[in-house]
Amino acid sequence: MNKTVLLVDDDLFQLKLYEKLLTNHGYHCRIALSVDEAESILKEYDIPDLIISDYEMPDRNGFEFRKKLLKNDLLKNVPFLFLTSVNDEHFIQQGLDLKAIDYMAKDVPPTRILSKINNLMLAVREHYERSLSEVKGIAERLNLRNIPKTAPALKNFSINYYNKSYQEQPGGDFIDFIKIDDRHTFVILGDVMGKKWGAWFFSFSFLSYVRSAIRLCVFDGDYELPTILHKLNRVVYADEFLSDIFSTLSIILIDDENCSISYAGAGDLPLLKYEKNRDDLISYQSDGILLGFSEEAVYNEIAVDIQEEEELFLITDGIIDFEINGVKKSDMKLLSHKIHDLKERKELTETIVDNLFNKHTSQIDDCSIIIIKRKNNEAK
Amino acid sequence: MKLSKQTINDVLVIVIENKEANLSKSEQFKEMMFKDIEDGSHNLVISFENVEYLDSSFLGALVAVLKKLLPLKGKLVLTHLNEDIRNLFELTRLDKIFSIESNIEISLQQF
Repeated sequence: MNKTVLLVDDDLFQLKLYEKLLTNHGYHCRIALSVDEAESILKEYDIPDLIISDYEMPDRNGFEFRKKLLKNDLLKNVPFLFLTSVNDEHFIQQGLDLKAIDYMAKDVPPTRILSKINNLMLAVREHYERSLSEVKGIAERLNLRNIPKTAPALKNFSINYYNKSYQEQPGGDFIDFIKIDDRHTFVILGDVMGKKWGAWFFSFSFLSYVRSAIRLCVFDGDYELPTILHKLNRVVYADEFLSDIFSTLSIILIDDENCSISYAGAGDLPLLKYEKNRDDLISYQSDGILLGFSEEAVYNEIAVDIQEEEELFLITDGIIDFEINGVKKSDMKLLSHKIHDLKERKELTETIVDNLFNKHTSQIDDCSIIIIKRKNNEAK
Repeated sequence: MKLSKQTINDVLVIVIENKEANLSKSEQFKEMMFKDIEDGSHNLVISFENVEYLDSSFLGALVAVLKKLLPLKGKLVLTHLNEDIRNLFELTRLDKIFSIESNIEISLQQF
């Protein structure tokens, strides 16, 4: 993904020069002719990866701009460079004292400026990857995972699942399989509303509650999905720590003896089913609203008839979000048609997943899919 | 996060000026709305006329705003949702918990 640079300079010629230089070398640039304009851009668009600013500009200068950024929690850590023709030692020191990574003179050859920017972005990336790998290592050691290592092997069903994180960071999607005995297996797919680390962190709270609710109901011999969801929702609602954090949940109970499947959901996307000789997938929509929103939410259970070779697809919303030619949209129908076409072409599960995980469009959230297939008699 | 605000008949009408309502704005949006609510604005209309895409982080922020308003007997009406966003609300049953209207004028009649 291209790094975004915000360039701020009152000299349009300079701005265009550096914009061309950076764009030609794989950066995406936004340009501002004043601090006011830069602030509007920062409000309107996503946070850039780097800010390069001139010092001397009418109204407010680069130092004033930098001082204001340092007071903003969202922007204070964005790498900042001064690129200016005001190169008096006193100014250089003042600029660097404002936690600018560098103070560069405009008379430095553009290629050297480009090398500095490249090196800086590389250093930021390396630092980030080191930190990420440390956190991932700790999570691994603590056995903190919101996506299991394997799916259980069942007699009459096969389960495949895939999760792709967004920008290499863990996300709020969580998956779990709880095999109670040879007959009953629960399949869980949830999505904490949010992205990246925040959502990842909260996914463990939800996952623990889901596991507990299922186990406690099963101890009482209760396999009714609405009862499990109702209890789960009440406990999530009562947890002040989760008061403004919400999660979707799809829950499936596989009965491996009777070859039956029941499904319930909370604010989740519909469960999709592939049957031969139909024009599209069948969609099952649950009634439940998001976990934690209302104490007295009502959940329904849907019995899903599944014959040999038929497949169910459980998904989270990342998989229906697409970015095509810079325009982002959510499109459930597109996903449904895509899966149906791939199934009609008798593509293997791996090929289907490869296609769904947006080869030709940019992924904009973490994505998960669980595919449950009823085996045919010969394959058993 | 760019918001325009206007009070009409004791209802705070907020127009989101960004094209994308996403993760980078959701936390800030939630805080801004919480502040308005704490300052006494309990009747809100939020217009999405400029919003082309809304992600789940932002949906989460909207649900949090609504949840905060309920015990205060406040009301939140969403308006000008484009077809994609409207579909997303319907698919995830959020249309059951939010009041959704086609324009600001009709939204104001809900108070």
